[in-house]
Amino acid sequence: MPKRLLALLLVLPALAMILLFFIVPLAASIIGAFEVGDRFGLDNFAKSFDLYSSDMIFTLVIVAISTALIGIIAIAIGGYLTLGENPRAVAVLRWLYRWPMFIPFIVVGQVMRTFLAKNGLMNNVLISLGILTPLQTTGFLDWRGIVIAFVWKQTPFVTLLLAGAMASLDRSTIEAARNLGASRMRILIEIVLPQVAGTLLVGLILSFVTMMSVLSVPLMINAQSPTMLTADIAFRINAHGDYGVANALGMISLLLTAGVALIYLRHSVKERS
Amino acid sequence: MTRQAFLKVENLSVGYGGTTVLTDLDLSIGKGEFVALLGSSGCGKTTLLRTIAGFAKPSAGAVSVAGRDVTQLPPDKRGMALVFQSYALWPHMTVAQNIGYGLKLQGRSRGEIEKRVTEMQALLGLGGLGSRKPGQLSGGQRQRVALGRALAIDPEILLLDEPLSNLDARIRLTVRHEIRSLQKRLGITAIHVTHDREEAMVMADRIVIMNAGRIEQQGTPEDVYNRPASPFVAAFMGAENLLTMQARVSGEHIELMESAMSPPTVTGRGGRDVTSGPVELRFRAEAASLVRNGEKTTPAAGALELRGQVASVTYPGGHWRHAVHLGNQEILVDADRPFDQGETVKVHVPESSLFIFNA
Repeated sequence: MPKRLLALLLVLPALAMILLFFIVPLAASIIGAFEVGDRFGLDNFAKSFDLYSSDMIFTLVIVAISTALIGIIAIAIGGYLTLGENPRAVAVLRWLYRWPMFIPFIVVGQVMRTFLAKNGLMNNVLISLGILTPLQTTGFLDWRGIVIAFVWKQTPFVTLLLAGAMASLDRSTIEAARNLGASRMRILIEIVLPQVAGTLLVGLILSFVTMMSVLSVPLMINAQSPTMLTADIAFRINAHGDYGVANALGMISLLLTAGVALIYLRHSVKERS
Repeated sequence: MTRQAFLKVENLSVGYGGTTVLTDLDLSIGKGEFVALLGSSGCGKTTLLRTIAGFAKPSAGAVSVAGRDVTQLPPDKRGMALVFQSYALWPHMTVAQNIGYGLKLQGRSRGEIEKRVTEMQALLGLGGLGSRKPGQLSGGQRQRVALGRALAIDPEILLLDEPLSNLDARIRLTVRHEIRSLQKRLGITAIHVTHDREEAMVMADRIVIMNAGRIEQQGTPEDVYNRPASPFVAAFMGAENLLTMQARVSGEHIELMESAMSPPTVTGRGGRDVTSGPVELRFRAEAASLVRNGEKTTPAAGALELRGQVASVTYPGGHWRHAVHLGNQEILVDADRPFDQGETVKVHVPESSLFIFNA
């Protein structure tokens, strides 16, 4: 049937792209993870867990804390944009909050490095305000620095999605609650948030996956041990040419994100049905 | 108004940005009264309701309830509950949670809330639906949940913003009577915004007709229907047939000059505020009657007689509706039997159904 052939021909480019740039490299990397010399085995994984199990936990904890903070701040900003009663403050906030979205991760890392260091901008300001003495200062260039950089960079993205969902809510559902005497905090938590929970979940999951794959920020801010898996993968390849362990580490972070992706898929299936 | 004013709106002006929606508006409503705000879209009726409810801030004027100035109070401190056009039910809550939310906010005990919610469900015929979500209800049921949510907190004043406009035509007819009898039973003061003339007539004690941010006329349904105070009200209340003539007013009589389509007619002034000069005549299709040209009938005293030709006949149900050509104008006239197309006829409009205004 020529019509069917034509249809097949039309999807072929897209199919080829996926095959060539997604399936094949993924398969190669998965196979590579099990390759030990000229046989297959779990040696790479054993080595990964041996050397980097604390980094796996470190990565998961950092990304989880960041995701939670991003969620809370995005709810606060989105809530104020939706329920705020001072139109000028709302306009200023609406204009301001998106900027970090347009700054690349590497620049965020660099900015945070100069800002959060022991004698960085933040501590200098605190000292000049008399809040800290030079002896009391500590650098934030450890896990805290990574969390701050992630939250700063990813919050606008989640807020953008969340504020959009909040803005498209039926305003009268908010007014109805106000009419019955609900405070703005209660309206946000009991009326607005449950109606946009799906969007928030999607935003947070996408953010989670993005943060799992960022290399520049841990390299810039926290190039010591423990560090994030992405830094370890880069190190295995650049310093040792050890593709086997790098592939194994890649697969482990893939499994970590897969758990979250599963929630996303479940949610989108539920939404479509 | 014989009843003492319970809800009072004085010199109210409301605007959004640069445009004023309401200007210097006064309205007073008695306790237990059902008032309909009637007007076409954009006339300011919803803005007036939202200002009374506290969702829109007036630029001038005051709203008071039982002598207490509530102009600056938030919506929940006014003793009013609003039923929204879209119902505004919370989709993530069950029917019972929706109805009970206002009570929960008031900090009532769980037992008390449950009792009141059951009471409301029984009152509104929602028994057994308490655990459903709004998405699983029909339009009429949702509307009743919205009503139950508003009534559960026992408000002094119930505000209804076109609550029937999202319902099927048939359900709408029954819900009209349901809301009206519920309001009577509870003795609650109600303000109902609508653009549906019949709905306002059937439901309200008093109709307030609004146009371009002002009140055109207010009165009982019979009043505004039979004694429209302006051409706008007459047209809005269904007197769509429009003719212009020359008139001379003398004492209690109005003399309508002879024209190409009508002989000179003298009709009673009936308290109308009309002066000599060009006038605008309005009447309803069902108020006029048709007579064969040859037939020897003299119109009743004060009635207007017009000569014309039947242009088309339709049957909307119950009677035949004729489009009648009068020169280059066309009017609609109902009759119990059909007249032939092209037939020359006489149209009689009785004095009481003739609305005359200075053009």
